[in-house]
Amino acid sequence: MAELTTTKLNAESHLLLDQPLLRMPYELSRRNFKNAQRYLERETSTLLTSLSSTSKVATKASGETHENTLESLDAMISKMQGLKRKLEGLHEEEGKIHRHSKARLAHLQDLFEVQSLVDVKYDEWSRIRLSRLLVDYLLREGYSDAAAHLAQEKGIEDLVDVDAFVACHKIERSLREGRRTGEALNWCKENGQGLKKGGSNLEFQLRLQQYIEMVRQGHEAGAEGKGQGGGEQKLIEARQHAKKFLSGSGDFELLGRAAGLLAYRPWDMVEPYASLYSPDRWIYLAHLFLTTHHTLYSLPPRPLLHIALSAGLSALKTPSCHSAYTSSSANASSSTTTVCPICSTELNALARNVPYAHHTKSIVENDPVVLPNGRIYGRERLTGYNEKVGTEKGWVRDPVGGVNGERFREIEVRKVFIS
Amino acid sequence: MDDLREQIELLESSDNLSASINDVQKAIDLLVAARAKIAADPQTAPLTLAKLHDPLKKTMEVAQKDLKPIYSGLNKYSRALDKKFKDKPLPAAENDALSSHPQLINRAIAMHLLREGQFSVASTFIDEANRNPPRPEPTPGTPNPYLQEACSKDAMHGTFNSEKLQSQFSEMYHILHELRQQRNLGPAIEWARDRSGVLEARGSNLEFELCRLKFVCLFVGRDEGGAITESEDGPLRAWAYARSEFAPFQNRYSRDIQKLIGAMAFWPNVQDSPYRRYFYNDSAWEEVAASFTREFCSLLGLSADSPLYIAATAGAIALPTLLKLQNIMKEKRTEWTTQNELPVEIPLPPSYHFHSIFVCPVSKEQSTDQNPPMMMPCGHVIAQESLNKLSKGARFKCPYCPGESHPRDAKKVFL
Ligand SMILES: [Zn+2]
Ligand SMILES: [Zn+2]
Repeated sequence: MAELTTTKLNAESHLLLDQPLLRMPYELSRRNFKNAQRYLERETSTLLTSLSSTSKVATKASGETHENTLESLDAMISKMQGLKRKLEGLHEEEGKIHRHSKARLAHLQDLFEVQSLVDVKYDEWSRIRLSRLLVDYLLREGYSDAAAHLAQEKGIEDLVDVDAFVACHKIERSLREGRRTGEALNWCKENGQGLKKGGSNLEFQLRLQQYIEMVRQGHEAGAEGKGQGGGEQKLIEARQHAKKFLSGSGDFELLGRAAGLLAYRPWDMVEPYASLYSPDRWIYLAHLFLTTHHTLYSLPPRPLLHIALSAGLSALKTPSCHSAYTSSSANASSSTTTVCPICSTELNALARNVPYAHHTKSIVENDPVVLPNGRIYGRERLTGYNEKVGTEKGWVRDPVGGVNGERFREIEVRKVFIS
Repeated sequence: MDDLREQIELLESSDNLSASINDVQKAIDLLVAARAKIAADPQTAPLTLAKLHDPLKKTMEVAQKDLKPIYSGLNKYSRALDKKFKDKPLPAAENDALSSHPQLINRAIAMHLLREGQFSVASTFIDEANRNPPRPEPTPGTPNPYLQEACSKDAMHGTFNSEKLQSQFSEMYHILHELRQQRNLGPAIEWARDRSGVLEARGSNLEFELCRLKFVCLFVGRDEGGAITESEDGPLRAWAYARSEFAPFQNRYSRDIQKLIGAMAFWPNVQDSPYRRYFYNDSAWEEVAASFTREFCSLLGLSADSPLYIAATAGAIALPTLLKLQNIMKEKRTEWTTQNELPVEIPLPPSYHFHSIFVCPVSKEQSTDQNPPMMMPCGHVIAQESLNKLSKGARFKCPYCPGESHPRDAKKVFL
C-alpha cells in the first residue's frame, strides 16, 4: 500500500514546473499579433493619406503631372509590398510559435499516459524535462551557445526558447556592457502596451539615464573649457529632454534628485546625486530590464532548475550526507551499495545549505545486524558481500573497509532492533 | 490538454495572418491595375485615382478585420491556459536556496554533461561560463554570497578538473560503445583486469561477469561483430578460453564456473538446456553495461546515475507537497529553505532512498552526528539525547524490553 502511494504519478499536479513552457510561446504569439496589427494600421493610414494627396494633385493639374502620379503610385505599391513582406515574416514566425506550442502540449500530454513514477516512460519523460530545465537555465544565465548546442543534441528545439532569450540577452548586454539605452528603448516601444499594463518603470529609468548622460557630458564639456557654450548647450538639451520624457513621473523625490544634477557635477561626489552618476546604474538597468522582460513573458524570476533542485536536494538529503562518518547503507567503497546523489561530488557542496528531508519512521534494511565496530547492515547484504570477496569461513568483513578492512568472528555479529 | 491543442490547431490552420496577407495582395493588385491604366492613358488619372480610393480603403479595412479571429483565438487559448494552471502557481522565488551558489550549480551542470557523454556541449558551456562567471545573489540562507563565493571561485577549475573528468568519461563511453554497439568485451575486460584488486575489494564480480559473457559468446560462436557464425568449434574455443582465463576466479566463483562447464554437456542442444539463460540472453549485455557503469562511477566516488537528474526529478515529485507547505508557512512568515529539517515528509518512491534512516522511537527525531543512534546491550536503539533523558546518567530500563543497563554500556551505531 505504502508503495502505491509513493509511486503513483498524478500528472495533473505534477505540472507545477511547466507553466512557463506554454506561457512563453503564447506571449510570443501575442506580441507577434500586435506587431502585425500595428504595421497594418500604420500602413493603411499612410496609404490612404498618400492616395488622397496624389488624387488631389492629379485633379488640379494636367498632363505633365502624370509622371509624378505614377511615381507616387509606385511608392505606394512598394510600401504595400514592404508591408506584405513584413506580414509574411510574421506569418512564418506565427507558424513556428504554434508548432512550438503543439510540440509542448504533446510533450505534456505524454506525461498523462504514465501512471507510475517507477515506469521507464516516466524516466524518459523526466530526462527530457531535465534537458529543458538545463537549456532554460543556460539561456537565462546568458550561456546561449551551450544552450543552443544542448537543445540541438537532445532534439528539443521546439521545447525551448533560444531565439527569444538570445534577443533578450543582447539587449541586456547593450545596457550592462555597452552602456547604451537605444536597444532597450526600442524594445519598450515594441512592447509598449504590455509594459503600460504592468506598470513598468523601465522606460522612465532609461530616459532618466539618457538625461544623466547628457548632464554628465554637459558638465564635462564645461570643465574642459571647450568654449562655455558646448557645456551649456548640452545642459539645456538635458533639461528639454527631462521636460519631455521625465516630468510625467509621479516620483517627485527622484525628479528632485535628477534636477539637482544640474548643480552637482559627477566629481563633486555629493549624495544623493553621486549615486545617479554611478556606473552601477547600468547594472541596475540591465537587471531591471531582465525582470521586466521575464514578467512580461510570464517567466518566473528565478530559473526553474533552481526551484526543482532546491526541492530535490531537500527531499533527498539525509543527515548522513554531510556526516563525519561513512554511511553503512550508501557509500562508494563497496559494490553492495550505490553512492547517494547528495553525497556525490556534483551536489554535495550545493546541498550543504538546504534542510534535510523529514522522516517519521526509520528506514532500514531487512534483518539488520550490527558488527562489533557499531556498523549496521542488512544480513543479506553483509553475507552477500562476504561471499563475493571470499571471506574465510566463520569470519565476517566490514564492507566499508574492503577485503583488507576489519574482520570479525561471525559469532560477534549481533541482531539489532530498530523500530 | 485537448482543448488547448484544439485551440492551437485552429490558430495554426485558419485563424492566422494568411487572410490579411491576401487582402494586402488585393490592395497591391488594385494599385497595380490603376497604375497600368494611368500609364496607358494619363488623362484618366484623376478619375482612376478617385475610383481607387473606396475599394482600396475597403480592402485595407478587410485586412484589419481579418486579424480579429487571431485576436479572439489567442484570447480563448489564454483563458484555457489560465484554467489549466489556475491551481498550479509557479513556486515562489523565495524558496530558492541556490541563487547564492551559481558556481556550484555550474559545476554540477558541467559534470552532468560530461557524465552523459555530451562532451562538446560541456566544453562550449565551460568556455562560456569561464568567460562570463555567474553572479551570486543573496538568499535567506546565505545573505553574503560574495564572501563565500570567493572561496569557491575556482570551483570550475580547482576541485573539478574538467579535462580529467572528460577523459575519464570518454573512456567509459568508449567501453560502453564497444559493449553495446559492437558486442566487443575486450576493452571492458581490460579495464576490469587493470583494476581487479580494487574491484575485488569492493566485492564486485564485474570482471567475472564479463569473462563469463565472453565464454558464452565463444560457446555459441558469436564473433566480435556480434553475428552468430555457424562454427562447430565454438564450444572448444570456449573451453580453451575457460582454461586460460578462469583460473583467477576458481576460488570465488567455483560454483558459477561449474554451472557454465556443466552447460557444455548439453551441447549441441543448449537451447533446451536449463542453462539457456546464460546463453541466449540479450539483456546480459545491458546487465554488464549497467554494472560496468556503476563500478566505473563508484571508483570515481560518483553515483551511478546523474545526481542532477535524480535531484531534479525528486524535486518535481516533491513540489506539490512543498507548495502546500509554502502556503501554510507564508502565514507564519517563514521559509522552508532556512530550516534545518523539512517540516513535512515528502513521499518519494523507494528507489529514491539511498541511506538508511534512523528515527528515534522515543523522541521521533532523526539521528544526526550530534545526536547519534545508540544501541543498548539488549539490542534496542534510541537516540543519544533520549538515552540521556531516560537514564539521567544512572542505570535505567529499556523502554522496549525488560532489559536494564547503564548508559555507558550503550554503543554508538552507524547506519
Ligand atoms: Zn547522501
Ligand atoms: Zn531493549
